Amino acid sequence: MTFLAQPRIGRLAGQFGLAFALAMAGAGALLYWQARAQIDDEVETSLRREQARILVPGAPQDTASIARRLSALTGGRVISDKGHMLLAADGRTIWGRIEMAPPPPGFADVSFRDGRPDWREGHALTARLSDGARLVIIEHSEAVENIHAMLPRTALILVIISIVVGSGAAWLFSALIAQRLARTMAAADALARGDLSQRIPDAGLDGVFAQQVAGLNRMIERMADMVHSQRQFASHLAHDLRTPLTRLRALLQADMAHTDEAGRQLLDRAERECRSIIAIFDALLRLSEIEAGRHPTAMAPLPLAPIIEDVAETMEPVIADAGSRLEMGTLFPATVRGDVGLVHQLLVNLLDNVALHTPAQTCATIGLSIAGDEAIITIADNGPGIAEAQRDRVMQPFERGTASNRPGSGLGLAIADAIMRFHDGSLELADNGPGLAVRLRFPLLTAGMTTF
Amino acid sequence: MTQKPVLVVEDDPIIAGVICRNLAAWGHPSLHALTGREALALEREGAVGAIILDRMLPDIGGIEILSQWRASGCNTPVLMLSALGSVQDRVEGLKAGADDYLTKPFDDAELEARLAAICRRNQRKGDDLAVGRLRLDNAAHRAFLGDAGIDLNRKQFSMLAYLMRHADRVVTRAMLLENVWGYAFDPATNIVESNLSRLRGRLQALGCDAVETLRGEGYVLRSAKCGA
Repeated sequence: MTFLAQPRIGRLAGQFGLAFALAMAGAGALLYWQARAQIDDEVETSLRREQARILVPGAPQDTASIARRLSALTGGRVISDKGHMLLAADGRTIWGRIEMAPPPPGFADVSFRDGRPDWREGHALTARLSDGARLVIIEHSEAVENIHAMLPRTALILVIISIVVGSGAAWLFSALIAQRLARTMAAADALARGDLSQRIPDAGLDGVFAQQVAGLNRMIERMADMVHSQRQFASHLAHDLRTPLTRLRALLQADMAHTDEAGRQLLDRAERECRSIIAIFDALLRLSEIEAGRHPTAMAPLPLAPIIEDVAETMEPVIADAGSRLEMGTLFPATVRGDVGLVHQLLVNLLDNVALHTPAQTCATIGLSIAGDEAIITIADNGPGIAEAQRDRVMQPFERGTASNRPGSGLGLAIADAIMRFHDGSLELADNGPGLAVRLRFPLLTAGMTTF
Repeated sequence: MTQKPVLVVEDDPIIAGVICRNLAAWGHPSLHALTGREALALEREGAVGAIILDRMLPDIGGIEILSQWRASGCNTPVLMLSALGSVQDRVEGLKAGADDYLTKPFDDAELEARLAAICRRNQRKGDDLAVGRLRLDNAAHRAFLGDAGIDLNRKQFSMLAYLMRHADRVVTRAMLLENVWGYAFDPATNIVESNLSRLRGRLQALGCDAVETLRGEGYVLRSAKCGA
C-alpha cells in the first residue's frame, strides 16, 4: 500500500530515462562519424581513380594536353556524379563550368555550383600541374547530404524512444522492487507495533532479495527471542518481588498491633515506602505490557470527545484541589481506532502531571481538533513549561524534569508516550508561550458525528 | 457476614498465617489449604462460606481449581489472589469465575472490604437505590433526602450508588477506582479523594453527612446517618 505513494521511484525512473537517452545519443554520434568516415573513404578512392584516368603516367601533363584529354573523356559535359575543372595558376577557369572557390591541393570539402541555382556540397581532389595550373575533380556528396538531411529526425526519434524505453524500464524495475519492499515494510510496520510473530514472506523471491529477506528474518527471530526472555524476566520479577513484598507488608501490619506509638510511626513510614515501591513496580510492568503490544482488549472505533469529557469530569476536582483550574476547550467530534482503557490512562496521566507538576493558579485547557488525517488532543497550560532541551529527556522512564523530588513513579510521560505509539500516533511536547502544550496525534478514523 | 468458614488456599505460610489471623480478628473461622489438591478436598467435604484462592500453587493452578469448582456447579464466592497483576491476568481470573481479583501485595483492609463485598454480591441490586431516607433517581442522576433533591455529575452519582450498595461496609479506594471508573491502573493523584470530597459537599448541601473516611482503610456510608 505504501509503495504507491513513493515519489522517489518516479524520480529514479526519470534519471534512468535521461541516462539511457544520453547513452543512445552517444551511440548515435559514434555511428554517424563511422558512416561519414566510410563514405569519405569511398569517395576519396573513387576520386583518386578518376585522377589516375586523367593524369595518365607517361602522357603529356601540360595544361593544354589535359584540357584536350578532359574534353575527349567527357565530351565537355558533366556525365557522371563527378565534375572536372582546370584552373590557371592565377585562379582563372581554363576548362569546365563549375563555380567554386579554388581549393588547396589534396583532398578538401567544397561548395560548388554547376549551372543549377543552388550550392551543393562535395569532396574535391586537387592536383598541381607542372605549369602551375590546377586540376580539380569534384564528387557531389549525395550520401553525406542524405545523412545530414536525416540526422535531426533520426536523432529526435532516437531520443524519444530511448527516454520512453529507459524511463519505462526503470519504472517497471523500481515498481517490482517496491512491490517486494512493500511486503518487507508491511511486516516491519507490524513488528513496530509489537507483533513479533510477523516474518517477511519470501515466496517468489530469489537472489539478493531472498538473501536479504532471510537475513532480516534471522534478525527478527533473534529480536523476538530477546524480547520474549525479557518478558519472561519481567513476569518472573513480578512474581518473585511481589511475594516478598506481600510478606513484608503482612509482617509490618502484624507488628503494628504490638508496638508503642513511636514504633507504630516507624512501621507506618516503612509501610508507605513499601507502597511506593509497589506503585513504581506496577507502573513499570504496565509500561512493558503496553510496549510489548500485548494489551488484551480489542481495538475499536472510539469517539474521543466523550472520553475527554469523562476524564475532565474526573480530573477537574483533582486539579482544583491542587489550586489550579481545568477548562474545556472546543471538542470537535472525531473517532479514532483505540483502546478505551489506555486512552483513559493516557489522559489521566497527563492531567495528573498538571495537578502534580505545575504551581497553584495554573490554568489548563483540554481540546480536540482535526488537522488533515489526524485527530489532535491538546492539553495546554500556562505553567512554567518544560525547556526545549529537557523535552526529550522527560519522556524517558524515571526522568521528571528539573525537580526530582516530585511525587509520582517517574513513568507517567513514558507510559503516555508508549500508549500513543501503541495507537500509531505520537506525543509531542511544545511551547505554549508561556506554559506547556502536550499534543496527542491520533490517525483519524472518521470526523464529525458518528453512529457507533 | 457468614458463619461458615472461609477457605484460604495459599502455599506461602507467612502470607496464609497473616490472612487467617486477620480473619479470626474479623470474627470469621478459617480453613487453610496449602495445595490445590487439599483445597479441592476441603471444598468437597464441607460447605465453606467464601474462598480466598491464590493463583499460583505448587500442584494445581488456581485458575484450574476454580474452573473445576464452577464446572461442578459450586457458587461459593471466590476472591482470587495473585502476584500476576496485568490487565490480562485479571481478565483471565474473572473469566474463570472469580468474583473479585486482588493483586499481591495487598492491604488487609482491602482484603476485608473485598471479602465482605463478594459475600453480599447478589443482595442489593436494583435500579433505584434507597438507604434510609436517602434515595437515588437513576434516570435523572439526582439524589433525594426526603423531598429535597440535588443533581450529581456522573462520577458522583456512580460513587454514591456504589457506597449505598455497600452501605455500612468499608469500600476501599481501589474498589471505587475499579467499579466507578473501571480503571485498571493506579493514578498518581487522589482521584477518589478529590471526587469523594465533592460528593460529600453535595450531600452536606442536602443535609446528609453519611459518608465517613476511615483512615488507611477506605470509606463507609452509614445508614444511620441517612435520615431517620
